[in-house]
Amino acid sequence: MAPLELSAECDELYSTLLTAATESEEGLKKQFFQKDVAEVAKKTAKSVTELLKVIQELQNHALLRASRWQGSLCWSTRPRGAAEHIRVLNTNERTLYEYVEDAHTKGIWLKDLKKRSGIEDGKVQKAMSKLEGARLVKVIKNVRAPAQKTYMLFHLVPSDDVTGGSFFDAGDLDEVLIEEVANLIVFHVKMASWEESKVRQPRRGRSPVDADHQGDDAVAGAETNGKKRKRTADIEDSVPARKHRSRDYEDIVVQLAWPAGTREYPTANGIHNFVTTMDAIRASKAQQLTVAEIQGVIDMLVWDDKLEKVGAGYRTVRGISFRPPGAVADDEDEEDLEKVGNGLTQTPCAKCPVFDLCGEGGPVSARNCEYFAEWLNHGT
Amino acid sequence: MAAQNLAELCAVLIENHVGDLAAQIFTTLSEHGRCTATTLAGHANIPLRRARTGLATLIEEQLVLHHTAEEDAPTFYTVSWRNAYNLARHANVIALVTERYGEAAGQVIKNILQLGHARVGDLADAYDLAPASQRDSGIDMDQATGGMMNGTAKPSNQHVTSTAEFHGILRNLLRDGILAKVGARSFMPVSDLQEQLQEAVIVDQFPDRKVTGPKKAREFGAAVNELKRRWQIDDTFSEAVDVGSRGAIKRPGDHFAPNKRAKLNGGFANGHAIDESSAPKLSLDLIVRVDFTRCALGLRSRRLHQLARRVLGNATGAVYGALLKCVERKVRIIRSEPAEDPDADKILPSANLNEIAESLDREVDLGSSIKGVGGNKHLKPNGTGMKGKKNQVVDDEFAEIGIKEELSESEDDEPTTNGLSSYRSHAKRVKMIEAHLMLLEEHPKGFCKRARAGSTSTDWGIDFDDLMDGLIEAELDDTITAKFGKKSLRVVRMLRERGRLEEKQVASFAMMRVKDVRSVLTELQSEGLADAQELPKDNQRQPSRTTYLWYFDTQRAQSLILQQTYKAMARTLQRIPVERDRFRTIIEKAERTDVKDHEQEKLGQGERAYLREWREVEERLLTQVARMDEVVVILRDCSAKDVSLDT
Repeated sequence: MAPLELSAECDELYSTLLTAATESEEGLKKQFFQKDVAEVAKKTAKSVTELLKVIQELQNHALLRASRWQGSLCWSTRPRGAAEHIRVLNTNERTLYEYVEDAHTKGIWLKDLKKRSGIEDGKVQKAMSKLEGARLVKVIKNVRAPAQKTYMLFHLVPSDDVTGGSFFDAGDLDEVLIEEVANLIVFHVKMASWEESKVRQPRRGRSPVDADHQGDDAVAGAETNGKKRKRTADIEDSVPARKHRSRDYEDIVVQLAWPAGTREYPTANGIHNFVTTMDAIRASKAQQLTVAEIQGVIDMLVWDDKLEKVGAGYRTVRGISFRPPGAVADDEDEEDLEKVGNGLTQTPCAKCPVFDLCGEGGPVSARNCEYFAEWLNHGT
Repeated sequence: MAAQNLAELCAVLIENHVGDLAAQIFTTLSEHGRCTATTLAGHANIPLRRARTGLATLIEEQLVLHHTAEEDAPTFYTVSWRNAYNLARHANVIALVTERYGEAAGQVIKNILQLGHARVGDLADAYDLAPASQRDSGIDMDQATGGMMNGTAKPSNQHVTSTAEFHGILRNLLRDGILAKVGARSFMPVSDLQEQLQEAVIVDQFPDRKVTGPKKAREFGAAVNELKRRWQIDDTFSEAVDVGSRGAIKRPGDHFAPNKRAKLNGGFANGHAIDESSAPKLSLDLIVRVDFTRCALGLRSRRLHQLARRVLGNATGAVYGALLKCVERKVRIIRSEPAEDPDADKILPSANLNEIAESLDREVDLGSSIKGVGGNKHLKPNGTGMKGKKNQVVDDEFAEIGIKEELSESEDDEPTTNGLSSYRSHAKRVKMIEAHLMLLEEHPKGFCKRARAGSTSTDWGIDFDDLMDGLIEAELDDTITAKFGKKSLRVVRMLRERGRLEEKQVASFAMMRVKDVRSVLTELQSEGLADAQELPKDNQRQPSRTTYLWYFDTQRAQSLILQQTYKAMARTLQRIPVERDRFRTIIEKAERTDVKDHEQEKLGQGERAYLREWREVEERLLTQVARMDEVVVILRDCSAKDVSLDT
């Protein structure tokens, strides 16, 4: 049905429209209404009938596609290469292609394709694999429905809705990236949160009984010892008991707080700015990251007790440290687990799998408890 | 009351403390509720005589309260959950008092706790007349090993040396509310007390016995509250009424007091820590007990202090500790009466900067932990500010390990500075304290705030209601992290902050895979900590066509973990006899009269090691119970919201 050759005036019109489309913000999605096309095609088509003929010809060549926008007919352009492929498609394939095209960057489920087109199962499958083979459409992974096959035009980049945003890599959560960004944020915020200074303090063994304070020992203990060192220097040798051999000391980093209300702690915007302009992350990725996404990471860090909100900005929780680049985070979590906890969670009962059954006269009781025996034998 | 775990715990505690007859009676009474001695004996299947003996023991410790409505009416007995539970708190109370008032006071408190309540005269006798007999009066947590336990403790008579010191300690404790006067009302159930109050008001002010209409109801309420307050004042210790020298007029027993207040020292200000030795004696007939509500306040302050130290450092923590101490004196009870006017601004318990400076340990180095505050900027050109501090380097051993030595503060009351320089150094100190307080105010937990918002007044207050919610949440968070790991913590905190969320939203906010989130949520749900609300999309309520909204109910989690804590405490205590059984031979040998106190000579090395091992085991289990009690303090006693024990 399609004429073999595209007429010159149609070609010209198509080129103008294509340029207009690519230059516009929407790209190929740019829709031209009748009056737009008429404006462009003033020279070739004087009347509506002539215009219609030209459009029809382009449509036949699959260079234009028709759609409806708020009740009125409109057209958008197709790349030449795609048009050539489409021209050789049969009706079924063409219908399916158009559905995929309509879905644009959102993609369309195979299930929906079948339902909407009303074409029977086998034929859809066959047509879609042919389209895929012709590199007209591609299968993408949708984070919202990873089990469903989702189709999208080959040249399109999936939208954030489909990919899940910057933190997804091919439909899969990019945990390494999240961790890296989180670490970067902690690093950045920490630098701005506390004034760090090194002091020497005598080495001190940690008492195992004092589990509650273990977390803050290194940091909290350091301050008073900072003071101690100063005093020792002040009064020099007058107190011999204060003299220690140098190997009894170790350098401890002390975090000094900034006076309240004098400091502007980094805000989400500032952090976003830092993360994206740092060279730590691939440039293309860094460009993609939005403030909202960074805010998400910040929220996560707040829930993890690594950051705390102060005024409009954030500061790191005291004693939190960032992982130096390149270091592997091994056993870190286990260590953290030991630090926290309270009177309840230190007992064997807290982790007892049969706690609910336990009772005097029952199958399990304090009398025959194995966990207690173990607990009493080996520390915790 | 479905507090099965609590009942079990209390039974174990009572058995350890006063024996199994009492425990049996307590359990029966708790199962059947309020009843008379006869009914009780019937239920418990024991002779009435024995029931009465058991009840007497329990009443002595105020574990059972009783009330006789009229002269001839039968007496009804009710258990007191709070008092029974408090048996588990003894170790913490002793530690608190020792930390604040010194070893001697800790010893006194320990003895009072063991006795339930005590007459001052009897206590004094135990110390002064027969110091050696104290060992016998010490009934420990564990009766069977009582002797052994005391054997491990240091001989206690070294602590209290003079009558004067003894009375000084008691007066201090009474003034700060750690000890309370015991009157007849302390033995009455709360509900009966309330009834009696109302009856008294009706008889007094409503002769027609009709309280109808909103106006009258309001009048009635006000009158009841008024009378309640009057009774409370009656029941609290006051220097004027209860000090021996004045009490002589009213109290016949007072002439036993050997020496009245020394006239020479009459010029001293009353109630000041320094003149402990010259303090007037207490009436020997005064009966005292430990006020546990007050102790809960103390434990709460300690906890807050620790938290502040953890998040903002030692110096700021110390400042906060000082603020808490000042404020604590002004807060009478945790459970305040509901505010009459909800629109009125909350009046926060507050303290002045100068008070804080006064009670803050001078050893604390305020300047070094805030950038630029202790630096040269604020230092006077001649450096007097620093000089005053340098000279005070006496012993920072305590500050180093985070314990402030409270008693020492009276002796180093500005020993070096004078005149202008002391004024300057004081001003500087106050300024630094304020900087610390502002830091605390700025913290997201909102540790404290200015008493009047927006002003630059020097009064600082603490909004305990808000702070307690945060503290409870932190406690839950700790528990959840330790039990389920960090991922669960993240999810729980998110649910608390964002409300009800669908699984996929949870995953995207938490930046976790849906699969991982699902396992976390299911685990939390099976533990009863998180739950999902079903939202069916159609009438069939098919699971596949249903949205599940996940949420975290803090209050439910709180009571759940509280119950678990009770149960774990009971189990830990129940384990002690099991362990004792394991070490039975050596314990029996060590308790033999010829071996006792001569362990070093009479026992072989292996035996001594074995004995030590047993002591460590017991110590460990008891310590764990005390630590769990700290959880209970936070979850149950620190906020007015928990009402599980209000019956």
